[in-house]
Amino acid sequence: MDMQKYRGMFLSETQEHLRSMARLVVTLEKNPTDREGIDSLFRAAHSIKGMAASMGYEQTAQLAHHLEDLMDGFRKGGAVSAAAIDRLLAGVDLLEGLLEDVAAEQPEREVGAFLAAAVAAAEKEPVPLVPAPTAMPATPLPGRGWPLQVSVELATDAAAPAARALLLLRELGRLGTLQDSIPSEEELRQGGAVRCLEAWLLTEESPGRIQEALAAMAEVERVSLAVDRRREPPRTPRREEGGRTVRVRTELLDRFINLTGELITNRYMLQTAFRETRWTEAGEALEQLRRLIADLHHHVLQVRMMPLESITGRLPRLVRDLCRKSGKNVELRVDGEEVELDRTILEELADPLVHLVRNAVDHGIEARGAISVRAWREKDLVLLEVADDGRGMDPVAIRRKALEKGIITSAQARAMLDRDILLLVCRPGFSTAAEITEISGRGVGMDVVKTAVENLGGSLDIQSEPGRGTRFLLKLPLSVAIIQVLLVECAGHTVGIPVTRVLRTLDVAREDVRSSGRQMVISFEEEMVPLLSLRKMIQLPARPSSGGSLPVVVAEGRRRKVGLVVDRLVGQREVFVKSLAFPLDRLPGLHGATVLGDGSVIFIIDPQSLLEPRPGAPVFRPRGENS
Amino acid sequence: MGLRILIADDALFMRNMLREIFVKAGFQVVGEAANGVEAIERYHELRPDLVTMDIVMPLKSGIEALQQITREDPDARVVMCSALGQEALVIEAVHAGAKDFIVKPFMEERVLDVVRRVTKSQG
Repeated sequence: MDMQKYRGMFLSETQEHLRSMARLVVTLEKNPTDREGIDSLFRAAHSIKGMAASMGYEQTAQLAHHLEDLMDGFRKGGAVSAAAIDRLLAGVDLLEGLLEDVAAEQPEREVGAFLAAAVAAAEKEPVPLVPAPTAMPATPLPGRGWPLQVSVELATDAAAPAARALLLLRELGRLGTLQDSIPSEEELRQGGAVRCLEAWLLTEESPGRIQEALAAMAEVERVSLAVDRRREPPRTPRREEGGRTVRVRTELLDRFINLTGELITNRYMLQTAFRETRWTEAGEALEQLRRLIADLHHHVLQVRMMPLESITGRLPRLVRDLCRKSGKNVELRVDGEEVELDRTILEELADPLVHLVRNAVDHGIEARGAISVRAWREKDLVLLEVADDGRGMDPVAIRRKALEKGIITSAQARAMLDRDILLLVCRPGFSTAAEITEISGRGVGMDVVKTAVENLGGSLDIQSEPGRGTRFLLKLPLSVAIIQVLLVECAGHTVGIPVTRVLRTLDVAREDVRSSGRQMVISFEEEMVPLLSLRKMIQLPARPSSGGSLPVVVAEGRRRKVGLVVDRLVGQREVFVKSLAFPLDRLPGLHGATVLGDGSVIFIIDPQSLLEPRPGAPVFRPRGENS
Repeated sequence: MGLRILIADDALFMRNMLREIFVKAGFQVVGEAANGVEAIERYHELRPDLVTMDIVMPLKSGIEALQQITREDPDARVVMCSALGQEALVIEAVHAGAKDFIVKPFMEERVLDVVRRVTKSQG
């Protein structure tokens, strides 16, 4: 059998184990008798051993075997010795090295020396003895028929959806023994916006019959059935990043097949409707197509989604190592690791996150302190916060420094708010390695962090006060490829602005425009917002002055709101963004391009980076001409 | 083989509209009731295949009428008619044994869809 085709899978799965191993070791260092941790480490080493041996990677298998033995000893002893922590970490490092060799298709490095040293060390040290607890016996559920997990999705426009869900529960009760549901019957009786109903059923009816009965009910958009997973032994959720293989839940694959089937039916509906020129039916079929595509998008996105854990997993180890080196005492707290993001975003975010945490340890925290990494969902965004309780940043010092470096003019220095001043540390060249610790300390690589976040369509914000810690807040989209944009027209060109950047669109009457110095402003939510001409920003000829109101897009600028004056607001669209190739990718403010339904190509602009002139950078002109 | 339907609604307008929808679809409207008391009486008298019951009606509400009808005939096919924003009442009606519900403004297709489903799946 050709094992080479399994190499990618071996790599991704082993990498996943290694990440969790590193984290488990760090946890065990704090809590050496954590039974579950010891067991998990044992299992991880055991799995790697088995896979490596099947692949013929002898060195890897030997090392994994050794680690497995080591953990088995601790399983019997009930605790991990302090001396073993370093050995385990070194073993994990060596395994990582071996994986690199495998990935590069090189011969594996030797592990003999490591094994010999480890054995010698182990002999010196007695293993403490604690009786091991007995395993829990698995208890099967009583009942009759087979267990099914039923998921029902209601139509988006379903009226009184809670009542509809109650009717569904009643129907399920006729079809079998209803064991549980989310939401429960009591919850449904409280009313509210229910979109999905999950129910667990013991039934003797065939799944086909159940599917049919439920699908026949009003306002049911989709029914899917799965064997009730709760009866199987619990498995740890496992995902992986990178690599070329993805593990996908089979229910998801089933959904794809169902959706494909529905799309095929839909195609016939459309064909028939068009052939027979029945436009009402064509309209209905198109509406159905819209729903099917939205569903497909939703589910494909799920395949691409991975928990944040895949990149925060290495942080405990990082902080531990940094503490060792610097002699600081830092407590790391990670919350919201289960929050999911598109894998592309996670890949791009991995290094910036390490950077932020490293900076926090190196420059934020003095001798001891805490770092908190926290993620949570807010509507269509994921917010990721890296906060420390260290010395904080001093806007006065940063302002002075930026002036000295010529990054801002003295007029700008006076006009800028402290929040904007803090963001100056993200300017390229603000800080160099030689001067990091003294004043700002945060400049190293912060431009890289900010660029990475903005390239993903996200934004970065810094909050800090001297002596009161620093908080970096990253706002990230869930997915990169398909986004909602607001289309606007400017001198005959249509451009798109991601709606995540848009606060509001307004029709401003001429008399509501005031001037403040040389700047035209409007009042928006009790704030004076400067008006900027989008034509001017993208270097199109100025608009001939005319009467009537001004269409304005209020966008989040550099910490401050700005009103972009456009010629016309066209509307909102869901678009597939294609990234731009050289040389277009060099233009600041250009987020990508997309093709509209009529075949025209439009550019997606990012007001935030458009507002940030970079000296010497080329300028975006939608015409693509240099004249 | 027209399905025999009783329409209970205090608004003549709604009764006429529903009647038109049903007649056009080949169903037989065997009676009308303008309040909850009448609805119960007509039900006993006519034994229709299906009742459309407005929730808010004078003398006896649609839910009270529904309760009384299903107490005596648990298989009665009663479909509640509600306005938007009456979710709590709809939930109460479903709990009391309504087989389904339709929400105003009535769309012909939805009304017929619900009626057909109820008579098919529970017939």
